[in-house]
Amino acid sequence: MVFPSIEFAIFFPLVLAASWALMPWPRFWKPFILVASYGFYAAASPRYCLLLAAITLANQLGAVLVYRGSDERRRKWIVGLTVAFDLAVLGVFKYYGFFADEIGGFLDGIGLGLSPPLLTLALPIGLSFIAFQAISYTVDVKRGLLKPGSTLDVAIYLSFFPHVVAGPIVRAREFLPQLRTPRDPRKVAVGAGVVLIVIGLIKKVALADFLAREIVDPVFGVPQAYAAPDVALAAYAYAAQIYCDFSGYTDIAIGVALLCGFVFPQNFASPYRAASFRDFWQRWHITLSRFLRDFLYIPLGGNRGGRWTTARNLMITMVLGGLWHGAAWGFVLWGTIHGLALVIEHQLRGTRLSAPTWVRWLIVFNVVVFAWVLFRAENLTLASDFLGQLFVSGPATLWTPAVVGAVLVVIGFQLLPPDPLDRLRVRVANLPAPALGIALAIIVALVGATVPSQGVPPFIYFQF
Amino acid sequence: MTEPRHPHPAPGESTDVPHDVFAVPDAPPGRRARARDALIVVWLAVVLLVLFQGAGVRGGAEELSPGIGRDVVEAVGEPTGWIADNLPFSGRTDDALAWLESDGGPATPTASDGATTLLVTGDSLAMPLDTELARRYAGSDVAVEREPHVGTGISKSDLVDWTELSAKQVRKRDPEAVVVFIGANEGFPMPAPGGGGQASCCGDDWQAAFAARVGRMVETYLQGGDPHVYWLTVPAPRDPARQEIADAVNAAVRAAAERVGEGVTVIDLDEVFTPDGNYTAAIDIDGRERIVREQDGIHLNAAGAAVAADVVQDAIDNDR
Repeated sequence: MVFPSIEFAIFFPLVLAASWALMPWPRFWKPFILVASYGFYAAASPRYCLLLAAITLANQLGAVLVYRGSDERRRKWIVGLTVAFDLAVLGVFKYYGFFADEIGGFLDGIGLGLSPPLLTLALPIGLSFIAFQAISYTVDVKRGLLKPGSTLDVAIYLSFFPHVVAGPIVRAREFLPQLRTPRDPRKVAVGAGVVLIVIGLIKKVALADFLAREIVDPVFGVPQAYAAPDVALAAYAYAAQIYCDFSGYTDIAIGVALLCGFVFPQNFASPYRAASFRDFWQRWHITLSRFLRDFLYIPLGGNRGGRWTTARNLMITMVLGGLWHGAAWGFVLWGTIHGLALVIEHQLRGTRLSAPTWVRWLIVFNVVVFAWVLFRAENLTLASDFLGQLFVSGPATLWTPAVVGAVLVVIGFQLLPPDPLDRLRVRVANLPAPALGIALAIIVALVGATVPSQGVPPFIYFQF
Repeated sequence: MTEPRHPHPAPGESTDVPHDVFAVPDAPPGRRARARDALIVVWLAVVLLVLFQGAGVRGGAEELSPGIGRDVVEAVGEPTGWIADNLPFSGRTDDALAWLESDGGPATPTASDGATTLLVTGDSLAMPLDTELARRYAGSDVAVEREPHVGTGISKSDLVDWTELSAKQVRKRDPEAVVVFIGANEGFPMPAPGGGGQASCCGDDWQAAFAARVGRMVETYLQGGDPHVYWLTVPAPRDPARQEIADAVNAAVRAAAERVGEGVTVIDLDEVFTPDGNYTAAIDIDGRERIVREQDGIHLNAAGAAVAADVVQDAIDNDR
């Protein structure tokens, strides 16, 4: 079930009403919201509800055993086994096909002619997000940062419908405390939630899907058919599309959670405003970057072992971060480019080399856009074709005012000073409920009218 | 589009204290309201949308695959559709929003003068074959126009009526050759030929009704000029229930092509990908087993599309 769909438009008002009606009685509310969340997940991936339950139970068992254990070595083993289970599930469903194909090709190439059995397993939707949240729960319990929640609370945490399919990656320490007491029905961020839902719908349906249809999909699909002007615009358009698609999803998820009385962490903060790569990763998919920092970069040693150790740790973190997005060399290269950029930036820190902010912004933004090309292209051959076409002169056939305008709006808005926009957002959020309801209906109608007959395409991050 | 700055450090940032910021996040700024206000906002929006666009729910149900989700949307769509039908708002709203509608087709590169137009169409099965063919013919005298209609089917005409759509495609694109790959969303009941109620999949009546619709589409594509239609059969899907439908679709396509005769070539993709009639995810390509199907067990993946494109391209080039 995607947010911009008729199914969700039926599901959410009913669940919201029942949720607030039952909220004062946790023993009724908790089973209700668990069943509702599993129902939401089942609509997308019915066969894998059992897998979601298995991950929940395995991590809850691991967390409880670790919490009760006193022998440090045994506790490490339990955490190791629990994390290995999460990663094994992820590995089998997400990466087996890729590695089996690559290993088969390698063995064939050296004349052995053996290959692992080839399987096509459907990737359970949201598995990467679920696995990362589960890992964070068990490891944080091991680190003494969190006490295990009840099994019911942990099941709600991992399956809560606003974030189950594509994040944001909410840490257990952020969510479980919100389950301890019923949400206060007198302190709901209604206006902020509605504003986020409206902004998310516009980003996803009116901007991301429009750019995908009009320029990104055609040019990335057949780059050979287009010359430099169209190819260059398609690269910037994809940067705008993926931002609108993913941050639009996140906005809706956070807004829906707010209406239910829950607060999720922020996931985007005008990423194309960044004038350094470190800054970019503080603004892009924030919940993933802090997960990678806390569960990979710092355990590897972070920046405590000197320049080269820091560089190694950064590269490992970013390459694995790229691979998290999917089993393809394009993702690995995307992570490698960001890793190299962070390493170079780290090495230059403290030297006399400096540049004006606008130059640094220009470099960072264009490297980010270049890396997106590798991320988006179906394979490296097509990425190479795409980049090659940047040197082929020809007409600009896809430069319509609407496409250019959409790209400029998406990127330009992020460069504006945030304060006036934030003030405007708060003023809208403070409107009375009936005005917000009318505004929501108008935006849904307007945005819905732009949806082509085949419906809203899935969010890009559903595949991750 | 602009969000306030976030305090979390990124990888590479100097920090030896990993767990500094994980408490319950602060809600965004703005007035705190009552839960009742949340319900007023959402339910008021729902009521307004039902009054002005209630028929859209009924139409939305028709776009969904059979299952509980469709049943629920249908159940809600009946009364909301009835309400919208009996109020004067719906038509006016649709008229007011018509300028925002999109045909959803991908943009097509401008073809050079005198190029042969090859239309690649169908449902989601036609993707990524259409893109693969467009890549292969890029820079040649063949202009590939892609028009997939995801979620549609020949046996379900509520969303898109393919007999009407094929006529529109001919008027709009005037193709010299048409590649059709469709069959992922079939199995819906259709009026039995010669009357007698609805024919359920996948008996003789259903196949006859399906073949009649395929025949009308082919004849439409063959109107005018000297075009040729290449109709691709459906490789067996993984789901046994879908296999029965795919078999019926393929039998109907072959029967329709035989009846039309000249101008249509059936390309037996089922024999390429599932030669013994059973689903297989991988086939031998140049002496090595390669996965050719998507994880859903229905569609071709990129490697599969390349194999299909080889077969289609050979057929087209032989006829040129």
